[in-house]
Amino acid sequence: MASTTVEPRRPSTAPAQRRGVVGWFDPRGRRLGGLAFIVNRLSGLGLVLYLYMHLMILSLLVQGPGAWDTFVDIALSPPVLVFDVVLLVGMLIHGLNGIRVGLVGLGLVASRQKALFIAAMVISAFVAFVGALRIFGGE
Amino acid sequence: MTTQQEAAERPAAGSRAIPAFVGQVLSGVVLLVLLTLHMIAQHFIVPTGLRYYEDVIAWLRNPVVIAVEVTFLVFVTYHAITGVRAVLFDFGFSERTERRLTAVFWVVGIGTVVYGVALLAAILNAA
Repeated sequence: MASTTVEPRRPSTAPAQRRGVVGWFDPRGRRLGGLAFIVNRLSGLGLVLYLYMHLMILSLLVQGPGAWDTFVDIALSPPVLVFDVVLLVGMLIHGLNGIRVGLVGLGLVASRQKALFIAAMVISAFVAFVGALRIFGGE
Repeated sequence: MTTQQEAAERPAAGSRAIPAFVGQVLSGVVLLVLLTLHMIAQHFIVPTGLRYYEDVIAWLRNPVVIAVEVTFLVFVTYHAITGVRAVLFDFGFSERTERRLTAVFWVVGIGTVVYGVALLAAILNAA
């Protein structure tokens, strides 16, 4: 007689687990949480790139005041300050969304993750706005 | 019930990825404090937003600043490396490849911290 054993149905997995990194951009079955997942990883990768760029730029200090002070003058020009705002936004989104990921991942307040994500984004937007005013010299 | 979102953002129970995930969360918490300190000390209390050379050197002569910045470098490197590792592991490599990649990441991480500390020493020596 043929076996009637039925393999238990595997729990559904997220797009990222189904299709590797390409799955991050798979919109199927995605809701706000899926967007939060993508945002967290992309902002994290951007910040890693910035970390190594930052270390390279700091090496200008070894060359003395001429090289460093020239860089500071360029870095303080308005077009470059835009990148400071982008960096600030990236840090805020990754940091605050990271708190949500940590809390949900450790099994805490999992039922509130959507509200936490919205709160993280609202706080990020507010602090980024205040930071941008500060960066561009406003009061 | 585990939602798709939770499944994506945390390793399954018993997974080998759990220690790395916990390390990522803990280093993230430490970074929130250190990054806030770094941003305030290095940018927000500086009138121009960035220090010119003489001010940078004077700032780095403070041993507390050196201690905080090196600690920051260690944690940010750990967090960055384990983060990129987690992203790469989403490609679904074999266990053997994952072990090799982990070894590569250890080398890159230690190399980054050594480079950063050597850079600090070189900056102070050159001044």
